[in-house]
Parts: sequence; structure tokens; C-alpha cells
Amino acid sequence: MEQLIQELKASLIEALNLEDITPEEIENNAPLFGEAGLGLDSIDALEIILILERNYGIRIANPAEGKEIFYSVQTLADYITANRKQ
Amino acid sequence: MSKQTIYINSIASTLPDTQDSPEFVPGKQVSIQEPDYKTLIPDATLRRRMSRIVRMGVATGMQCLNKFPNAPVDAILTATGYGCLGDTEKFMNTLLDNHEQMLTPTAFIQSTFNTIGAQIALLSKNHGYNNTYTHRAFSFESALLDAILLLREEEASNVLVGAIDEMTPTVYEILKRLGLWRNALAGEGANFAILSTTAIPESYAVLEGIELFNGTYSAAEIQERIHNYLVQKEEKNVTVLFPSDYKKICGEYPTAMAYAFNTCCKHLQSGEIKTPILVYNTFLGNHSFIFLKPV
Repeated sequence: MEQLIQELKASLIEALNLEDITPEEIENNAPLFGEAGLGLDSIDALEIILILERNYGIRIANPAEGKEIFYSVQTLADYITANRKQ
Repeated sequence: MSKQTIYINSIASTLPDTQDSPEFVPGKQVSIQEPDYKTLIPDATLRRRMSRIVRMGVATGMQCLNKFPNAPVDAILTATGYGCLGDTEKFMNTLLDNHEQMLTPTAFIQSTFNTIGAQIALLSKNHGYNNTYTHRAFSFESALLDAILLLREEEASNVLVGAIDEMTPTVYEILKRLGLWRNALAGEGANFAILSTTAIPESYAVLEGIELFNGTYSAAEIQERIHNYLVQKEEKNVTVLFPSDYKKICGEYPTAMAYAFNTCCKHLQSGEIKTPILVYNTFLGNHSFIFLKPV
């Protein structure tokens, strides 16, 4: 799990051009979206959907689940562990 | 159309690292001093999505606007010969790597030519006329022509005009294969100016004329054309700037004329050059004159 979390953080930093942010600075349980967390927005959500699909073969069938799955790095990692195809 | 005098009231440029004439090494890439992006584009979310050319263009455009607090501009005109190459390359590579599936949105959104003009408008909350010209070596000149028309037809009083081009390793190699660097430095840059119908104490220069033409001409034919242009303008004591004069500093790129334009404005304002200046530019068969006078 820890390896997956580190991998996810690195992918997020690269895909979202999170300049000046290191993987260590992203807390596992901190919210990704909104002012309280990393401040990501809907365009970033599209980039994360592509990370899931491209790197782990996961397609999110029910968009309503998105809010929970994308809440934090930890929730993303949990969802990947439960649903990964590659 | 009125013969309205057009003043250049603000300029901003990304400057090449060296302003002297360095040793000429064909194909050498000119490096430029990039501004402090965090100060000029404080929104981190906006900034992180911007590729290098977008940052360079937006920051330089904002610098130019910040130096001119007198009034909001009525129009924003940008020009680029190559466009947002970095984002285009990223998008095209993703297209190839992922077999045209699962394409990321950001690089595509930012790869469009008008990204820079649009981002400047968003940041400065400008809802005016906004246009981008992508006419190879005539891109900057076309934007300038549009600005002249807007000002002379009294549709605008202040217009921001800028030109941006970047060099990426891929395009550098492609142009090298085409032989472009045999006798040239590889350049890039962002150059913006505000053109106005009213002079201010800080006015840099007066834009007196612009001429564009295509084709293959010998040096003698160009000299004759310059002579005829100046006769028509009834000017005798004029400083003529040739591409070799400024491209040894800024390098070769489709909108290098914008660098020459801003440099001349600076020299005219400081009094370093006291005569009118005719700038000649040529790039792959496109030729242009821009004629500037002291205020």
C-alpha cells in the first residue's frame, strides 16, 4: 500500500504540474480538492481519471462515487487496491 | 480613417541573457532572462497549468499592462509564428503513446494559439476585443496593423500588442535539419507594447508606418526598397536597422521583429538614437519595415 501511495503522489505531481510540492508534503488523508487541501479542481479530476485508467486499468462506472474516491490519496489508493486490473 | 498619431506608451520584453554582441556561433540557442512568474501570476493553480511559453507571454503582457496604469486597454492582440510548441508536442506525444486514447485535457487546452491573449484578458479582467495572429513571420506585423486600424478608426484608445515564440528541443532539431541555423542563432522571446492615441510623459516613440512584402530579393533590391520607402516618407536622416543588427542578440524566430520594435522604442525614449528608425525584418521570404520616430 505504501508503495502505491508514493507512486500515486509522484503521478499526481507530474500530471498536475504541482510545482514546489514534494510527495512528502502531500498528506495521505488530506483532501485533494478545495481550499483545505491541495486546491485541485474539475480539470484536475479529469487528469486523475486518466491516471486511474491508464496506469491501473480502472474506469469509474458510477460518477456519483467520484467524490468519495477522489477525496484523498488514501481513498484513491484504497479504490485502486480494490479494483485494479493491471 | 484619421491620420491619428500612434504613441508607444509602454513596453515589456523578455531580454536575451546578453545584450552585447556575443561571439557568433551558428545554431547556438539564445537564452533569455525569464521574469519572476510568482509575482506576475500569483494564482498558483493558474500558473501550474501554464507551459513555459504561456508563462513567458502572460507575465510579459502583465508587466506591460502594470507599467501603464493610466487606463485599461481596449483591446488585446497577440501574435505567434510557432504557437505553443511545448504543449502541442506534449499533446501530440500523448496521442501517439496512448494510441489516440485517454488524452489529457490540459495540454490540449493550453496548446491553442490564443491561450496567452485569453489568459492576459482573464488576469486583467479585460472584456475587450481579443485577437491572435498566427501568420508566420508576419504575425507581429499583422497584430500591429490591427492595432493601427483600431486606433485610427477610433474604436480603441489603448491597445496591448504582443508577440511570443518559444524554441523547444524538438523544433530546434527539425529547423536544424532544414538548415535554418546555418547562419543564425536560435531565438525565442516575448515582447509586448501598448499603443495609444494619446501621448504621456513616458511615451517611448511614435509609430509612423509599417510595410509588408513577400518574395526573394537581393540586398541591392532591399536597399532600393528602403530608399523608396524613405523618399515616400520624406525622411533623409534615418537610422536603418537590419536583421543582422538585432538577431545577433535575440536570435532568429518568426516574431523577432517585436524584439527589435521594443529595443528601438527604448533607444528612442532614452535619446540613445535621436533620428527616426526604420527596422527591416526578413524571415523565410516574408519581409517587413516598421518606421518609428522620437516623440
